[in-house]
Amino acid sequence: MFKELIAAKRISFYEAFQTWEGAVAAACLPLIMDHTITSEYVDSIIKCVKEHGPYIIIAPDICIPHSQEGSRGVNDTAMCLMITQKSVMFNEEEGGNARLFFVLASMDNDAHLKNLQDLVEAISDEAVVEKLLNAKCITDLEGLE
Amino acid sequence: MLRVIAACGNGMGSSQIIKMKIEKVFKKLNIDVKIEHTSIGIAKNQAPSYDVVFCSESFISTFDSAAARGTIIVPLKNLLSEQEIEEKIVKYIVNKEA
Repeated sequence: MFKELIAAKRISFYEAFQTWEGAVAAACLPLIMDHTITSEYVDSIIKCVKEHGPYIIIAPDICIPHSQEGSRGVNDTAMCLMITQKSVMFNEEEGGNARLFFVLASMDNDAHLKNLQDLVEAISDEAVVEKLLNAKCITDLEGLE
Repeated sequence: MLRVIAACGNGMGSSQIIKMKIEKVFKKLNIDVKIEHTSIGIAKNQAPSYDVVFCSESFISTFDSAAARGTIIVPLKNLLSEQEIEEKIVKYIVNKEA
């Protein structure tokens, strides 16, 4: 999965963000650049988080920004990853921080499910998460499948 | 057979992840289940017709009325932690602690 993300230029690195909205927008950039999504989808993700709270945080340090299947602004099924060096805070009262942003876009449920399964399998391995959190550039990800 | 629904903001991400993970743990514990996943809006209305709802902790209050009617609500903090899922299945479903 990571090899494919690297080959497709779908992994980015940033130092820090002032706001979670800024972080989500930056995380989406690789998919905007290759026309998988448009900025409409980014707006939709931010709206969902504002509406439902930071439910996109699925585990410590890990979030999966996404909106709905076939949402406006989605042209294809894909995933991209952004790694930040400093934690991005989603909600001061309820807490919730993330450093790994796996953006999900879905047009095709079967392909999306495959992406999700690969993702869950990969990040259920604590050693993989550790390696991602310690990475500062693409070469630090060598060895990940 | 236990009827289970996994819920998240819009039914495409977290709820599917919850489904994948709890499926594995239920199998390990030899508990017979049928698991569906959906968005929080739909799950809120359907919850009373299920035995158990799994959701992120932040959604727990959404299911107050279903809980009052006897549906077991299992809030998860770390959706990837099979250990947490197993502990909570034992606590909320097997031992039926509220």
